[in-house]
Amino acid sequence: MLTAFEDSAQRYRRQVYSFARYLLSNREEAEDVTQEVLLRLWRHRSGVDEERLGPWLLRVTRNACYDLLRKRRSDNAVRAPGDGFDAEMQHAASAEPDPQARAEAADFRRRLLAALADLEEPYKSVVILREVQGLPHREIGEALGVPEVTVRVHLHRGRRKLRERLREVSR
Amino acid sequence: MMNRSDHDLSCEEALGILEPYLDGELPAAEATRLRGHLERCAACAAELELAGKIQRELRSLPQLDCPPEVLERVRGSGRGEVVPFPSRRFRTGIRIAAAAAALALAVGGGALFLHIQQASDRPSPEEVAQATRQARLALAYVGKVTRRAGLDVRDDVLVKRLVAPATESVSRSLDGRRSEKEF
Repeated sequence: MLTAFEDSAQRYRRQVYSFARYLLSNREEAEDVTQEVLLRLWRHRSGVDEERLGPWLLRVTRNACYDLLRKRRSDNAVRAPGDGFDAEMQHAASAEPDPQARAEAADFRRRLLAALADLEEPYKSVVILREVQGLPHREIGEALGVPEVTVRVHLHRGRRKLRERLREVSR
Repeated sequence: MMNRSDHDLSCEEALGILEPYLDGELPAAEATRLRGHLERCAACAAELELAGKIQRELRSLPQLDCPPEVLERVRGSGRGEVVPFPSRRFRTGIRIAAAAAALALAVGGGALFLHIQQASDRPSPEEVAQATRQARLALAYVGKVTRRAGLDVRDDVLVKRLVAPATESVSRSLDGRRSEKEF
């Protein structure tokens, strides 16, 4: 059992953590969720088909994130999105050779991350899974429990909302 | 924005197919019509540019790596250890203190039970019921605060490390008291 768990945990922990991190914009909460999801994997590993394991883990992750977001709202807790999030992102965005272009790229990325953090569900999940994690529409549908066509509609709306927000900020 | 003509896409139609175009999913003929529209419509061309920039940026965001200690904590839980959650660490000490207090109350309930037995060979049913109720409430509270603290404790671990020792301790005390009486 340990080997099967270890194999799956090693294979999916990054995807689970990354998804939670972009959904929640908070490091500690993403660690909480990853831990909770991997604990569930430990307990239910034998009951999940290998082929469905990836979508199952993403669905459990999304549900755990929803629970946390609901709790945040009920606690009235205001967490600054991106505790250490920006630093990691900006480091990754600093490939431009020209300082001014680098500053502009960093600024655009910061605004995009803020717009993504504010995006409503289910659009946020779909945009993260498709654009950031590069999953095919079919797998996203399996993970979120919706048909592929719905994934496409949500993706279209999510992208349009991001454009609207980034255009507003640019004005 | 441009007005629709027989040969050109409307802006609405063009905006509706920007994303399939960006994703490379648009049939060649439609892609050509879209490019024709974009050459003549600065607003739609700007929209395509923004959409492309967002897509490139999102796709270049890094996959963030899970800290190794998260997996280590999960392995610990598999071995039956108590597992604290990262964002709940600051509350854990307080909760454990509450759990300890509740446990002390449970033990106190047991002691009261023994004291009643010592004071009188036949404690009243009310006294026994009260002591039992107190101990049960305290044990239930231990479970509650443990859950609230975000500690993941398996039932068998709780039984093995808390309930069983407490039961054994009370049994030993009762046995001792019986031996004393027999002696």
